Amino acid sequence: MIAPKRGPGGPANPSHLLPSELIDRCIGSRIWVIMKGDKEIVGTLRGFDVYVNMVLEDVSEIEVTPAGRVVTKLDTILLNGNNIALLVPGGAPEDLA
Amino acid sequence: MADAPPVQGLAKTPADFLKSIKGKPVIVKLNSGVDYRGVLACLDGYMNIAMEQTEEYVNGQLKNKYGDAFIRGNNVLYISTIKQ
Amino acid sequence: MAEPEPMEEATVREPLDLIRLSLDERIYVKLRGEREIRGRLHAYDQHLNMILGDVEETMTTVEIDDETYEEIIKTQKRTIPFLFVRGDGVILISPPLRS
Repeated sequence: MIAPKRGPGGPANPSHLLPSELIDRCIGSRIWVIMKGDKEIVGTLRGFDVYVNMVLEDVSEIEVTPAGRVVTKLDTILLNGNNIALLVPGGAPEDLA
Repeated sequence: MADAPPVQGLAKTPADFLKSIKGKPVIVKLNSGVDYRGVLACLDGYMNIAMEQTEEYVNGQLKNKYGDAFIRGNNVLYISTIKQ
Repeated sequence: MAEPEPMEEATVREPLDLIRLSLDERIYVKLRGEREIRGRLHAYDQHLNMILGDVEETMTTVEIDDETYEEIIKTQKRTIPFLFVRGDGVILISPPLRS
């Protein structure tokens, strides 16, 4: 197979901002993490790695159940990147932390 | 090994965090919702975890105790420090 | 078989060491799907695939009583002389208590 042709700057990236750069800009700020399944996590981002495992501080873990939202407060966590669906910089609309 | 201490205010990567919590009491929450509380012995790059004095909580209720426990990393949702 | 292990061998530096130290011991394994097994650990690999002998498997099911809505927890046990555990189903492994 012939390799696809690339422009001089590598594969085209219309946004000029890599996803990892976006996350990097969130370090030190609140971030809202929506997991696969009925779970959300809000916290202050301290760092992350290539798997988007994240260190979060002053965390609220929010579980959406039929009975309503169950919020658990946590100190500092290492969140496994495996089950993350969405990241929203700036925290949740009604930041419960 | 001269590990430079992570500078306050700068990024604390997952690796830094893990180094800082070895031997400390932690909560490990699994995707299933089950919590394990115990002392973190060690862990690896898959987030496999070895814990001591482990207590298993299902829906907040203590269900089991294990002297040592190995938790397979793919089940782990998060590892949390416990506020003193 | 009976050669003495150096002292370092008894330390847990990484999580899998806990499993290595449990070879030939009876271990408890919690699996997905409410399954628990106890058996003698003969072999394992880095995926936590395992060969266990003299296994007792416990399956737990919870039923809700139609009238009283009480939870009825049923456990079934069976023994299996020798089996292979696929690592991806493993949640937790606990070695026997060591003093």
